[in-house]
Amino acid sequence: MTQHDTDRGDVPPDHRGADDDNDWVNDPSTPLARELETSAELNALWDDKPGLWGKLTAVQNDAIGVRMLLTGFFFLLLGGSLDSFVMRLQLARPDSELIGPGLYSELFTNHGSVTMFLVILPIFEGFAILLLPTILGSREMPFPRLGAFAYWTFLMGGLLYYSSALFQAVPNAGWFAYTPLSGPIFSPDLNLDFWVLGLGTAEVGAIAGAVEIIIAVLKLRAPGMSLTRMPLFAWAMLVFGFMVLFAFTPLIVGSLLLELERGFGFHFFTPGEGGSSLLWQHLFWIFGHPEVYIQFLPATGVISMVLPAMVRRRIAGYNWMVAAMIGIGVLSFGLWAHHMFTVGLPTIVLAFFASASMVIAIPAAVQIFSWVATIWDGRVQWKTPFLFVVGFLSTFVVGGITGVMVAAVPFDEQAHDSYFVVGHLHYVLIGGVALPMFAGIYYWFPKFTGRMMSERLGKWNFWLLFAGIHVTFFPMHIVGLLGMPRRIYTYPADSGWAIYNLISSLGVLLILPGLGLFIVNVYRSYRYGRRAGPNPWGAGTLEWALPSPPAQHSWTVPPIVHSSSPLWDQDDLHSGTERQEKLVNAMGKWPLKWRAVLVVGTGDGEPEEIFRVADTSVWPLITALGTVGIFASELLKFRLGAVAGAALITFAVIMWNRPNPPAMTEEEELDFEAEHGVPVRASGSIVIARWALGIALLFLSIAFGSFVLAYFYLRIENPVWPPTDVADPSIPTAVFVVALMVAAALSAAYGRRALLAGRRGIVAGLAAAGVAGMAAGGVLAYDLWTLSFGSSDHSYGSIFHALAGFALVVLFIAFVMSATTLYDAIRGQFTPRRFSPVDNTVRMWIGASVIITGTILVLYASPYLMR
Amino acid sequence: MLAGCAVIRSQFALAATWNGGVVRSALNPQGSAARRIEDLWWILFGLGTFVAIFVGVVLWMAVRRNSGTQSPIERRDDHTGSSRHWILGAGVIGPAIIIVIVFVVTVRTMYAESQRPDADALIVDVTGHQWWWEVSYPDLAVSTANEVHIPAGVDVEIHLRSADVIHSFWVPALAGKRDALPERTNTLTIDADHPGTYAGRCAEFCGIQHANMDFVVVAHDAASFEAWIDARRAPAANPDSEIGAAGAELFVARGCGSCHAVDGLATGGDEPAPDLTHLASRRAIAGGLLASTGPDLRTWIADPHAVKPGVLMPDVALTDTELDALVAYLESLR
Repeated sequence: MTQHDTDRGDVPPDHRGADDDNDWVNDPSTPLARELETSAELNALWDDKPGLWGKLTAVQNDAIGVRMLLTGFFFLLLGGSLDSFVMRLQLARPDSELIGPGLYSELFTNHGSVTMFLVILPIFEGFAILLLPTILGSREMPFPRLGAFAYWTFLMGGLLYYSSALFQAVPNAGWFAYTPLSGPIFSPDLNLDFWVLGLGTAEVGAIAGAVEIIIAVLKLRAPGMSLTRMPLFAWAMLVFGFMVLFAFTPLIVGSLLLELERGFGFHFFTPGEGGSSLLWQHLFWIFGHPEVYIQFLPATGVISMVLPAMVRRRIAGYNWMVAAMIGIGVLSFGLWAHHMFTVGLPTIVLAFFASASMVIAIPAAVQIFSWVATIWDGRVQWKTPFLFVVGFLSTFVVGGITGVMVAAVPFDEQAHDSYFVVGHLHYVLIGGVALPMFAGIYYWFPKFTGRMMSERLGKWNFWLLFAGIHVTFFPMHIVGLLGMPRRIYTYPADSGWAIYNLISSLGVLLILPGLGLFIVNVYRSYRYGRRAGPNPWGAGTLEWALPSPPAQHSWTVPPIVHSSSPLWDQDDLHSGTERQEKLVNAMGKWPLKWRAVLVVGTGDGEPEEIFRVADTSVWPLITALGTVGIFASELLKFRLGAVAGAALITFAVIMWNRPNPPAMTEEEELDFEAEHGVPVRASGSIVIARWALGIALLFLSIAFGSFVLAYFYLRIENPVWPPTDVADPSIPTAVFVVALMVAAALSAAYGRRALLAGRRGIVAGLAAAGVAGMAAGGVLAYDLWTLSFGSSDHSYGSIFHALAGFALVVLFIAFVMSATTLYDAIRGQFTPRRFSPVDNTVRMWIGASVIITGTILVLYASPYLMR
Repeated sequence: MLAGCAVIRSQFALAATWNGGVVRSALNPQGSAARRIEDLWWILFGLGTFVAIFVGVVLWMAVRRNSGTQSPIERRDDHTGSSRHWILGAGVIGPAIIIVIVFVVTVRTMYAESQRPDADALIVDVTGHQWWWEVSYPDLAVSTANEVHIPAGVDVEIHLRSADVIHSFWVPALAGKRDALPERTNTLTIDADHPGTYAGRCAEFCGIQHANMDFVVVAHDAASFEAWIDARRAPAANPDSEIGAAGAELFVARGCGSCHAVDGLATGGDEPAPDLTHLASRRAIAGGLLASTGPDLRTWIADPHAVKPGVLMPDVALTDTELDALVAYLESLR
């Protein structure tokens, strides 16, 4: 191990200066980003406003990303380490009476819930929001306000969740909240409402962040950065984004159903009223298993960035790696039932989920050996980030092996809910996720603070953590096999488990100082660390061409990319075709009054559009307040407050999306387009808006799918459906609603066509769409109102009302969107060139029609079809 | 490799505890279901150890290979063919072979598990409650709590259900666990090789006293099982002392009998609670926390919430004399 850079973390600050060559860590052999005299002006343009108001309205990706990281880390200390410390104290000895069963239930519920929802997710979303623009050669995330909203909802959700402690109603049914234990009969107090509503708020934030990340990776890259030249971190975050969308949406629907059962007397999960306790398990694990990989994939993305820089060799098997990431993403949705091997599923179903759970080891092995092969061909620089990489590899492999073991159904019948699984999951989540997180922080810290973290403290930090993890979690495998179940607050002395538990508890005494040293290192290095140049590690990806820390707008002149490691392969970062060069240089000098971002083709990375990205705004905060207001009102059973919250959200979202006055006239835009061949949208993007609506519709469709899954699950559980004495649904109503929805979509499409053809008719089309949509909603609502059965009569009535209610919400969204577009159309805001809101309104009506037709088919037609 | 596994296995079987004469380890199987799983485990353990050592050695060699050689950034072309072979061989083909092996042994074990039990298997209904187990023998008209008595050497079909939240029935030395659900009956077939006592626990978190929901499976030889059943069928003992008779009166008068059934005295049934007809013959009360002896019974009845916080049994205010009488009565329920 060489001490190439002696640690200078302890040198008092007055003995050192930024200009001292010895105190400047940099590899000068890589090219730098081009700066122009406009840099300062651009930096000011992209900065958030000063002062408190500036903090509340901030949208800038650096600010949001760092906030997410810090808040996630704060929750890690609170729920990750404090809880587990107390639990390990309690379990250190048999028959311990340190804390009682009530507090113990709260601690393990809190530990699981906080780490799964409030720690790893925001930390990686924070990484992405902070890093992606610099890594991808862009200036911002596509929806800075959505990023701000994601942060606020995540923060407020976390605080709402933790406020349960003030009301002495801390959630206590486990992070999985199995029904009926979590239902109104066995948990009548507010504890579980805090769980559902607090975490529900944070889940909304997670989805908002995911939407932002998906579109950033797909559309906001440097010219020339095709998908196959994209750094692997971006690939990982792309897959992550889609996984969050597909996994968190069913969870939100499941949580909604649980809250309807807890607060409104609905029946989904209670046997005896047509409900099924296993429905919750399915809905929860459809989220819960992908969640593990949702946390793991970004970690593999981080490793794939850190490792090549540390061994100075590009990743071996880039294509293999991409395929493995996508494979893990897809497969992870096919193995949720491996958490349910003991509930009594049919053997054939068990065999399917066992095989899927084992097969996922293959893409994971591909990743492992891509990294190992990269190290093999490279030259290792033993810096702290690399220590964490090796720690990750060696720990995660053990977790992966025990993962295949528990996929073997009969063995899982012993291991399930025993300490064996506790050992396994901590090897995966701490080895596979937390260690990469630390690697990433040590690696990128200099980029965003301009200072290196101390190597000496870093090594202590690593070795304490690494030793602590193995001492704590390895014995758990053994004690699990010796018969110790999870989630018990005490155990008898004659069980033979005491020595293993004592060792585990002692391990925590290594982990805690390890974490403490990390905090000390961050603080000291931030204040006194050695100065970092643009590229202290000699890394090959774009962010290392920028100054440390980068400017607010990151890239004055967007880079032109020819390789997946451009800093290693290109002598100059701004040379390309004549057209590309002309465009990026133009962007460096213009515009200086509004925030311009380049959009590229999804596959080839060729410039497609320059659009005006949103600037600072307080409306994301207000929207988040409205969201948390709804959930808090439900906690207080103050239903009017929820209505007020919904109204506030509606208003705030409308204000959030009010277009700025166009910064350029259409003629100026056309001139630029003629000169550079790339359209400018100074009033707002067409491409990005289209993507955003597409993802929003995807979200609504997944939610719809989750309701449908719940419907048919209950249908199968109940032999008589609808229940006796309940009339079949009305077919004329069904036909009428569908016809009205089709009419709405067609009218809106007619309006759009008229606008693009330069004819009149946009106002009439949108108005007719609104009327038809409102009529459809009215008919549906009237039918619901006059039904002979209520929402709490039977699971049939419950799911009928829930799904119809969801359809009405979709209709409401389409209607509000259509109404604001109509308002702007009447004011003559739209032209054949500026028509994005009209475009999206039409798509929204089509999407709403499809979802409502689907709803009608399920609710009104399926009872006839499934006789 | 295999020899090494065999050594570890025998060491484990020794270490896997016989504490208090109760077997609780999954690695010390005492029945065919648990033995099948143990066999599977040692195959998994052998393969897993092999993989861990293999990856460890390769990783060690990779990091040592060019370690510490300072080098400028080498703008070398993409990796040579050999790294692609590594990824294909060690990342795809190797794992695929291992997974096929694991899957085959898994399915073989699952198939063995899914075999119907003997037609004459004894059926035991086990119902999970917060936080105790109701055990009844539908064909023998016998019921008890927190103890499953079975004849050794024959198949026993456990029919599992829950009366409230989800529980999980786990006797590591005899079989894997199976959940007790409120909405449907799950079946688990177990057998014990020899007479003995095997520890069982609830394995699914079921509320505040999940940790104290222990039970035992007691395997008998045929004759002693018959004797046990006969003893269970006998009516509740009549108190043979005056103080015991006073206790029986208190049992009814203070409402114990509205939840706890005692054959011939009280029918229970308001809230589910263990049948006490033969309470004093059981090993433990309170989900394993206390014995069914006089002093323990007294501690329990005097303040159940101090022993088992959150337990659903209400406090009944009793004087010392009343307690003595009640305990004397309960002790007589052999």
